[in-house]
Amino acid sequence: MMPRSARLPVVAGVAVAAGLAGAMLAPPDRLQGELVRLMYVHVPAAWLAFLSFGVTFVASVAWLWRRRPGADRIAAASAEIGVFFTGLAIALGSIWGKPTWGVWWTWDPRLVTTALMFFVYLGYLALRRATVDPLSRARRSAVFGVVAFVQVPIVHLSVLWWRTLHQPPTVLQPGDPTIDHSMLAALLGNLAAFTLVFAVLLRERIRLAADEDAADAAQHTGDRGLAGDAVAAPRMEDSGV
Amino acid sequence: MRRYRLLLVAGLGVAAMLLGLLFFGNLNRNLVYFLTPAEAIAQRAEFSDGRRLQLGGLVEPGSVARTADGLRFTVAAGATPSSATVSVLHTGTPAQLFRSGIGVVLEGSWRGDVFVSDTMLVKHDENYRAPEEPAEAGA
Repeated sequence: MMPRSARLPVVAGVAVAAGLAGAMLAPPDRLQGELVRLMYVHVPAAWLAFLSFGVTFVASVAWLWRRRPGADRIAAASAEIGVFFTGLAIALGSIWGKPTWGVWWTWDPRLVTTALMFFVYLGYLALRRATVDPLSRARRSAVFGVVAFVQVPIVHLSVLWWRTLHQPPTVLQPGDPTIDHSMLAALLGNLAAFTLVFAVLLRERIRLAADEDAADAAQHTGDRGLAGDAVAAPRMEDSGV
Repeated sequence: MRRYRLLLVAGLGVAAMLLGLLFFGNLNRNLVYFLTPAEAIAQRAEFSDGRRLQLGGLVEPGSVARTADGLRFTVAAGATPSSATVSVLHTGTPAQLFRSGIGVVLEGSWRGDVFVSDTMLVKHDENYRAPEEPAEAGA
């Protein structure tokens, strides 16, 4: 039990260290110089946001289909991770944008749709706190988790549908990626490392949620026993009664 | 349960309407982040009163000149020589990565035939390349 649960974080930690080394060893960009290194964190953060909301979507569909509490816990845990990495992608993009574009923020379709996705999933997390009844909480958030997912393809395709300042996809386009192959290797390594981090975070968060649910259930069914059970009634020594 | 279903249907309806408005409504004009040189020239009459617009394109190689009143260069839609071009006078500070051949989005207004801009954003494209000549570090 213990070795199995400890293996994944170790693998993820090694992968992150290797990814960081790759990001530092990759060549600088012709135009951006060293600024390009932010890409090795920004792109994986955005990928994790998409992946998390995808997992939330699948788990929400699964909950609506089978109504297993486990699916609800997966959806909630994944959405929390997704909100964090969406925020990280926005913050890192902003830090990159100031020296490259010249501004921290601009009303570009990619930026606006990403911010919208961030706030909508914050709303998902708020909705989960709006009721204490587990069944109605699961039902509402499952519907929300399915409907909100429509934003993920919109965010991804925004750079193709509208004119944007943000660059279109480099890797997910037909043909040979227009990126130096040593940079591409570092980027793919970081994508893999971040995906492992996602797996660790998701597993730990689901475990925590399951424990919370068990504690809640125990409290509500009242099978904890009475507070005075441990105290024995006073008895006479050797009374023989 | 019934009230909840009603809410769900209403919510889905509102979402569908908003999406429909976004894609098929006449919002597309307001969603345009910048105008190409050809569009900017075609719509010059609309913007003749000094209304601000954003112009996007590539800085034509060899057209950049520093003058007393600012930076003068030409913006073209693409690399082909036949595409429409706009003469620009940029009065603000040029962006850090500004150079000939790079994509820019300029904010400003028409003054006669010249587009006078005060804000410049550099549009980095989707190409990432290592520097070809690492030797010329002093440049």
